[in-house]
Amino acid sequence: MAANMIPKTFKERVEYNIRRFFRRLTFKKFVLGSLAYGWLILMVIIVLTPVLWMVSASFTDATQLGQVPIYPRFSEWSLANYRELFTYKSTDTQLLPDYVESFTTTLQIAVLNTILVVIFSSLVGFSFSRYRFKGKKQVLLSMMALQMFPSFMGMLALFMFFRQFGLLNNPYALTLIYTAGAIPYNTFIVRGFMRNIPKSLDEAASIDGATNLQIMWRIIIPLAVPIMGFIAVNAFMGPWLDYILPSVIMPQRQTVAIWLFRYMNPLSHEYNPIQFMAGALFLAVPIMLVQIYMQRYVVYGLTAGADKG
Amino acid sequence: MSDPNPNASPVMKVLNFIWAKIRGFFVSLGQSIWSLIKKIVLGFINIFKNIYLAFKEEPKSAVRGLLSFFIPGLGQFRNKQWYKAIPFFFIFIVFIVIELATSSYIYALSGELQDFPAQDGVLYFFRDYGGFFTKGIWGLITLGELVLGDWYRGEQIVIFDRIFTWKSADNSQVLLGEGVIALVLVSMYLTAWVINIRDAYHSHLAYLKTGVVEPAREFIRRIWDDFFAYIIIVPSFVLILFFTIIPFLFSFLVAFTNWTTRVSLGQQLFRWDGLNTFKTVFTSSDWLGFFGAVLGWTLFFAFMSSVTVYILGLIQALIIESKYVVFKKVWRIILILPWAIPGLISLMLFRNVFADNFGLMNQVLSNFGVTESVKEVLRSLNLVNQVDSVAGTGNILWLNEPMNGNLAKTIIIVVNLWLGYPYFMMLITGVLGTIPESLYEAADIDGATNGQKFRYITLPWILRATAPVIITTFTYNFNNFGAIYFLSGGGPAYPIDEIPLAVRVASAAPGQTDILISWIYKLSFTSGVRQYNLAAVYSILIFVFISLTAIYNLSKLKSFWEED
Repeated sequence: MAANMIPKTFKERVEYNIRRFFRRLTFKKFVLGSLAYGWLILMVIIVLTPVLWMVSASFTDATQLGQVPIYPRFSEWSLANYRELFTYKSTDTQLLPDYVESFTTTLQIAVLNTILVVIFSSLVGFSFSRYRFKGKKQVLLSMMALQMFPSFMGMLALFMFFRQFGLLNNPYALTLIYTAGAIPYNTFIVRGFMRNIPKSLDEAASIDGATNLQIMWRIIIPLAVPIMGFIAVNAFMGPWLDYILPSVIMPQRQTVAIWLFRYMNPLSHEYNPIQFMAGALFLAVPIMLVQIYMQRYVVYGLTAGADKG
Repeated sequence: MSDPNPNASPVMKVLNFIWAKIRGFFVSLGQSIWSLIKKIVLGFINIFKNIYLAFKEEPKSAVRGLLSFFIPGLGQFRNKQWYKAIPFFFIFIVFIVIELATSSYIYALSGELQDFPAQDGVLYFFRDYGGFFTKGIWGLITLGELVLGDWYRGEQIVIFDRIFTWKSADNSQVLLGEGVIALVLVSMYLTAWVINIRDAYHSHLAYLKTGVVEPAREFIRRIWDDFFAYIIIVPSFVLILFFTIIPFLFSFLVAFTNWTTRVSLGQQLFRWDGLNTFKTVFTSSDWLGFFGAVLGWTLFFAFMSSVTVYILGLIQALIIESKYVVFKKVWRIILILPWAIPGLISLMLFRNVFADNFGLMNQVLSNFGVTESVKEVLRSLNLVNQVDSVAGTGNILWLNEPMNGNLAKTIIIVVNLWLGYPYFMMLITGVLGTIPESLYEAADIDGATNGQKFRYITLPWILRATAPVIITTFTYNFNNFGAIYFLSGGGPAYPIDEIPLAVRVASAAPGQTDILISWIYKLSFTSGVRQYNLAAVYSILIFVFISLTAIYNLSKLKSFWEED
């Protein structure tokens, strides 16, 4: 086959590429290339080993770490841990198995949190990106500071207030804490996005007699749907893996994170690290898929507060 | 006094430079606080001046203000602005109704004061009969006066009395909490009240000038248009106020009390204690020693975990984006897995990996028969100091052995590296794509080598674009509670003889890998410890630190302030 002929079949193409590769291969390229691949393969091993160990452990019928083989034995795979996960009830009277119940509780929190965070942060972000007003800088500055503190620094007070007003064990009250904590950060993201929507749109609309509300609802919000989707996904995922707040605010109801932590706590009744791996995997897989899908927004989200350098 | 030495070592120069920066920062901070104080004081003086001027120049308008001073909305009503009068009056009524409905003034009036007279002149009127606001403020000031068994107005105090509520014992914790809420609500009300007075005055002034009263419809439209920016942030503001700011305020105030042990309801009170807790933290050598150790480790952890993560992320990004690597997308997807897996889960997974017996790490090592040699290497690095008992398995005790504190710290940083590098890998990959090709072409024309291109184009570009994120990561790691709590739980403990008695008695010692925030958690929420005031003091220190970093970071970001 002549070098300038375009390869047709798949086999030809592979052969062509291999030949081209070796023809262009120099010593320097070879050394640097193998170093690069060696490094990448090493990293992949480091990254995947614990994960694969977790997967293989979750599919055994072991109950202790010592019973998990290092190399997976495919012939002995079992679903015992998953069966246990979806049937175990810590008391006889409850309707749903613990894991399922904690799952539904967290789902409620997550859904409510998503709705509230999207509404509130879009409003605030809109206000901060579109208007000048007295006190704007101060509010922005304090929001910037607020977003750096973990909500649980005020947790003692929250616990007390909630007990005082009978809100302990109430998932919706817990959601309000999440929402309040999430607004500052998300406001910055929305603001960063909305600032890049040209102001000429607003001006044109307001010349045509549109009110503030119409500009916001008809023009800016539809354009900001992508960033609201980003916020929504983040807000939805946040509550699934928060342990500290629910452990204090909801001592008698479980979220998924609390239930998983129980499996890892040597002092609890349900201590079983293998069971943890099954439960964690079941929770992690959907989150992982969403995260990987969302990764292109990450660079944006990371730099949102600092856009335009 | 010595002149700065021109031959000083570079290290000293850098240190001097940093010191000058820090000093400059504090000087300007001091100046701005001073000017703020001046402004507030002058503002107060101006209020009286303005009132005086108002009465002198426009007595009629001033009378409207005076009407609103006594009954909010009345001045507006006389101004024929019913649409303003109604909301102001409504706020006033709500405030009064809440106060009355939660009070028991009615019992005071119906003769209880005579039936149970004050003894020895001791009578806490607002404690006994006040409503939410007055009792709240009373509680905030006093933090309670009476506990179980005290004699008061000829009766003995009990835990809870349903009929004579004043016979119930005080609970400082509740009083402080309600006091903070009352304080915030009262100051909000006072703000509305001041606005109401000013409005009555200025509206009348405007009326005198123009001779027309603004119609209701026009007013509402004007408010809706001009204050739209405020109106849409009010709900968020209220939420943040109640679920973030008030709790922070509460924590802040706790630092100035002596609330150390769990106060059993009604049997003990805690007291305002001024700066004594701060004094304990900074002068008692027992606490200072631990604070120093924890702060040192926190800074080291925050610094190391940010830097290592950044460097590894940079290396990964450069390698994957280099021309030697094909299937870039596949590598990228695999290598960002640690980021995609939720942190809580990975951290607890690593707790299993580094478990003492049968953790993955120990299993692998013993499977390859290298446990002993790895242990020797770690021993020579002074990471492992454990004493192997005869009956022991010889496993390396990664996270729980008091003698292996440094090993646990190393592991935390390494695991954090595993978790954190993909973030920077993605970020830097993104930044690499934004470097204009023309820069490289220009460099080619000048005959630059690959190394030079990297050193003078790629690296500065990346650093410039990611610098703010590095600082954010640093502050994030400074408070990275999860990385410690879910991996090592703060353990291993310090050897028992290294813990000073005062700390041991309070059982408040941190673990060797505790950072400030996880120690605070332990201090506040471990039953039997509950050193609330100490925890609050440390929280304030974190607050100061984080605010300083945030302000510094912001001052670097011009775009943040630029208006458009």
